[in-house]
Amino acid sequence: MKIKLTTVVVLILLVLASLVYIFPIYWTLVTALKTSLEIFTYPPIFFPTKIDLGNFYQPGNVFGAVSQTAIGSVPWMINSTIVAIFATLISTFLIAAPASYALVRYIKSVWLARLILFMTMIPEAVFMVPFFLIVIKLNILNTWWALIITYISFTAPFATWLLMGFFNDIPKSVEEAAQIDGLSPYQIFYRISLPLIMPGVVAAIILNFISCWNELLYALILTYSPFPSGAQTVPVFLTSFIIVEKSFAWGGLAAAGVFTMLPTIILGIIAQKYLARGLTLGAVKG
Amino acid sequence: MNRTLKVGLVFVLPILVYFLIFFIYPIISLFQNAFTNNAGTFTLANFQFMLRDRVLQISLTNTAYYYIGSLLIEYSLGFIVAVILYNYTGKLTTVFRTIIILPLMVSPVVIGLMWLLLFNQTYGPIDYFLKLLGLPAINWLGNPGWAMPALIIANGWEYSPFVFLIIYAGLQMVPPQLYEAASIDGLNRFQTFRYITLPSIRGPMIIAFLLNSIGILKGFDLVYVLTNGGPGYATYILSFYEYVVGFTYFQTHYAAALAILYLVIVGVFVFAMLKLTGAEKYLGVERIKE
Repeated sequence: MKIKLTTVVVLILLVLASLVYIFPIYWTLVTALKTSLEIFTYPPIFFPTKIDLGNFYQPGNVFGAVSQTAIGSVPWMINSTIVAIFATLISTFLIAAPASYALVRYIKSVWLARLILFMTMIPEAVFMVPFFLIVIKLNILNTWWALIITYISFTAPFATWLLMGFFNDIPKSVEEAAQIDGLSPYQIFYRISLPLIMPGVVAAIILNFISCWNELLYALILTYSPFPSGAQTVPVFLTSFIIVEKSFAWGGLAAAGVFTMLPTIILGIIAQKYLARGLTLGAVKG
Repeated sequence: MNRTLKVGLVFVLPILVYFLIFFIYPIISLFQNAFTNNAGTFTLANFQFMLRDRVLQISLTNTAYYYIGSLLIEYSLGFIVAVILYNYTGKLTTVFRTIIILPLMVSPVVIGLMWLLLFNQTYGPIDYFLKLLGLPAINWLGNPGWAMPALIIANGWEYSPFVFLIIYAGLQMVPPQLYEAASIDGLNRFQTFRYITLPSIRGPMIIAFLLNSIGILKGFDLVYVLTNGGPGYATYILSFYEYVVGFTYFQTHYAAALAILYLVIVGVFVFAMLKLTGAEKYLGVERIKE
């Protein structure tokens, strides 16, 4: 009987915790699905009776002001996607994969490892002035390259650190066998070792894609217009939308918020298995 | 040249170039800017100004407040939820785990938007619940005394799942034999937790503390979206102040000096934490020597 009681208490506590974590997301979703009449009402409506998708594609006309639309975020989404894909792929395959392999197998420098670790911990704001000055000097302000290059500053050390753990897990005998078969060190790397850690590579790509997609500070200072004329990303779109229309266009804002969080939630759930390992820089393998 | 070394250098070359562009150059650039004025002549004025900059003092105090408040909420909540889920034996473990870590996948800008809707004084659900409980409604984002707690609550929601994830993963790695031994020795639930579980998850606890601390100190987005530093200077934290100086007032040289201060604070913190807690061992820095 005593055991049953604890089981029930644990279940109740878990349901409460889940409610705490899901409610803000739920609230954003229902706000996006409500009409403005249902949004601006007291007491608040927790379960809307009918679903209205207008907030996603219609310009709102709330309190006499015409607002932006959620579907209007598409040009920003194009930029976000391109920048995130390029920054992630370049840092993973050109920098992180060879560097992590070298650190584990060839150059066993603890200091280089420490430096990489420290790079993952430097706040973005620290280097915003130098990065802004470089971008101005290279004349790439408001282009994809401005963001791709600066995003590599945080995606590369993260991927390197994560992949080091995966390379470390490969038994040395596998590579020794390949060596006996006459493969060069470079062939061993990209024909044997790299394919063996594909799950790690995919995890690094997905987690880095999420951080690029969500990045605000660099996009805020380095871009000023949407696709096709500029490279502004979704977080900047949403931020300016919030600042200008936060007192009235709640339906459209919430819909834009749903659009913005959907891709990363889907990717996050796909990569869930590697989330603990990735977010703890490999310290916890959960 | 030794063949192994040559191969190693080829592989490591890209990241050396990376350090040149993303570490050495920015550091030089920061010092160059921080120790000069607009005319380009050497000056210590930026650092002298720091000492009498009232807004900087407010920002530093706020950063400490934000850090301690967020860490307390995130660490305790994340830890407790992890222990609760660990004690759950039903079939819904994966469902609960997925729900609890959802905030980690949501963009901080969207989280700012969510909490703008939730904290709204007139139509928001939080004040509605407060009134249901017979408590006075709070002007969360407009009142200088409540803006920081509001920010800490939103940040706590965002990052407590991070602590949860680490601690929960750590708990699952505790060998079951230890619990069998404990029950043979007649330890009760509390004693088992105190003498078996806690020592076994020392590593994950330290990692959670270190990485959560760094995550909080990096914070910028939530402040920018939710309060924009306001009301007044009530939620100015160091990263936000540096941004305002650099990109609202365009005082690049002073912003560079602030960035150096920021880097030193984070650097000293990281160094002290690594030394005091031995976190490097858990992060696996030493494993490459094997």
